[in-house]
Amino acid sequence: MTASAPVPPEPVEPPIGLLAELTHRCPLQCPYCSNPVELVRRGNELDTATWISVLDQAAELGVLQVHLSGGEPALREDLEEIVARAVAAGLYTNLVTSAVGVDADRLARLRDRGLHHVQISFQDVTEEGVTRIGRAPGALARKIALAEAAVRLGLPWTLNAVLHRHNLDRVERFLELALELGAHRIELANVQYYGWGFVNRAALMPTPAQLERFRTVLERAARELAGRLAIDYVIPDYYARYPKPCMNGWGRAVMVVAPDGRVLPCHAAHVIEGLEFPQVRAMPLREIWYRSAAFAAFRGTGWMREPCRSCPRREEDFGGCRCQAAMLLGDPTATDPACSLSPHHAAMRRLAEVESTGEPPAFVYRRFGTRATMRRRELAPLPAD
Amino acid sequence: MSLLAADDHVRLPSWVILRFDRVRGRHVLLAPERVLFPCPTTVTVLERLGAEGRRLADLADELAAEFDAPREEILADVIGVLEELARGCLLEIRRSGHDRVGTRAA
Ligand code: SF4
Ligand code: SF4
Repeated sequence: MTASAPVPPEPVEPPIGLLAELTHRCPLQCPYCSNPVELVRRGNELDTATWISVLDQAAELGVLQVHLSGGEPALREDLEEIVARAVAAGLYTNLVTSAVGVDADRLARLRDRGLHHVQISFQDVTEEGVTRIGRAPGALARKIALAEAAVRLGLPWTLNAVLHRHNLDRVERFLELALELGAHRIELANVQYYGWGFVNRAALMPTPAQLERFRTVLERAARELAGRLAIDYVIPDYYARYPKPCMNGWGRAVMVVAPDGRVLPCHAAHVIEGLEFPQVRAMPLREIWYRSAAFAAFRGTGWMREPCRSCPRREEDFGGCRCQAAMLLGDPTATDPACSLSPHHAAMRRLAEVESTGEPPAFVYRRFGTRATMRRRELAPLPAD
Repeated sequence: MSLLAADDHVRLPSWVILRFDRVRGRHVLLAPERVLFPCPTTVTVLERLGAEGRRLADLADELAAEFDAPREEILADVIGVLEELARGCLLEIRRSGHDRVGTRAA
């Protein structure tokens, strides 16, 4: 074989996870929400029968876990029916909720229908902090009540802590809260700058010093809490050395079904111009996974350019995030600038340092009708170093 | 340091599910936000824990007799395959009467 002979594409494996965004409606207004700035309205949401068909098709295709998310999935009155069907299809069923819209009784009903796990978002550790982000007064008390109900019901639950410059210094308190409330797992997830989070980046980006401290706390917690609390974490890409293996590779492990039935390889993928996302109302899920152009676009390594193409890490991180390359460089085939091997990496990091140390701008809250535009000047390609 | 000892009584919590996946033709282990593809040895150990759980020393005796292998080696293997699950809080572990679980007994 000559050096230029094309490498045969690897066979496509079945998907492992399905992210079912049941609705974009949400009682909270978190400025870091990763939902798209163009939210899907209620009238365009899939109906119950279609969601049920999606779940059946997903299980048939090889999906093992479903993540019922949103928006706030509890705003769907058919959530009980959807959970029951997912469980009946053999899917491990996770509910991702803000706790506003699910009380102890409803959680008991969902548990009775077979729900396996509930993930509860904590915007902060005080009522004041939670309200500042989510703008739903009294939400923290509901979250705590739901966590306690989960423990009573024997349901494992995850404390999902979304971290940024305004609460990162309270990471120890998040950990304590998880232990006090009997969480199975904590997700210490620094904000990912997509959707509304991208719009609010300058208001949310932590400083390098905050992040340094976070890493120290994290190391100690991982050591001391092994076997007591499962810990997962996410570092902001802007300060990373190597990018995250976004979605474990494009079209490799996960399918996202948006509230209106569009199927995407990643929940942020709509920022990539020129890709047409298949509609679950019009095409079977199997065909979407194995045959659609959108899922094939950045699958594997064939689409890569240098430095990814010849990089020994290319099967580990798959070149990072396509959406981030598109958002920051205007080119979805570029190496994710989060990678230190990208010529744009230093500029990306500098951007984060400058934004994080400046006076934070006011939040643009996530809600229907807000005209949030991704600020053009930040979308311009970063200069190469 | 290992989180498990021969005397521990161990089982999978009700919410950690071991099942055969027809699509892939292999066992899968499903847990909150995690999908694991256990090797055949791990599958054997997990299946033998059963719904009630087992004392690891008893399980090692059983496997040693069955596979005609040194008991201490088998015990080390059993603890070896379960250790990662224990660290990830995916086992229910009882030690001399009280629960000391990957978080808590469900
Ligand atoms: S991040 Fe906040 S606003 Fe967005 S869906 Fe979750 S709870 Fe709602
Ligand atoms: S060059 Fe590409 S493949 Fe290599 S580490 Fe960076 S993003 Fe990953």
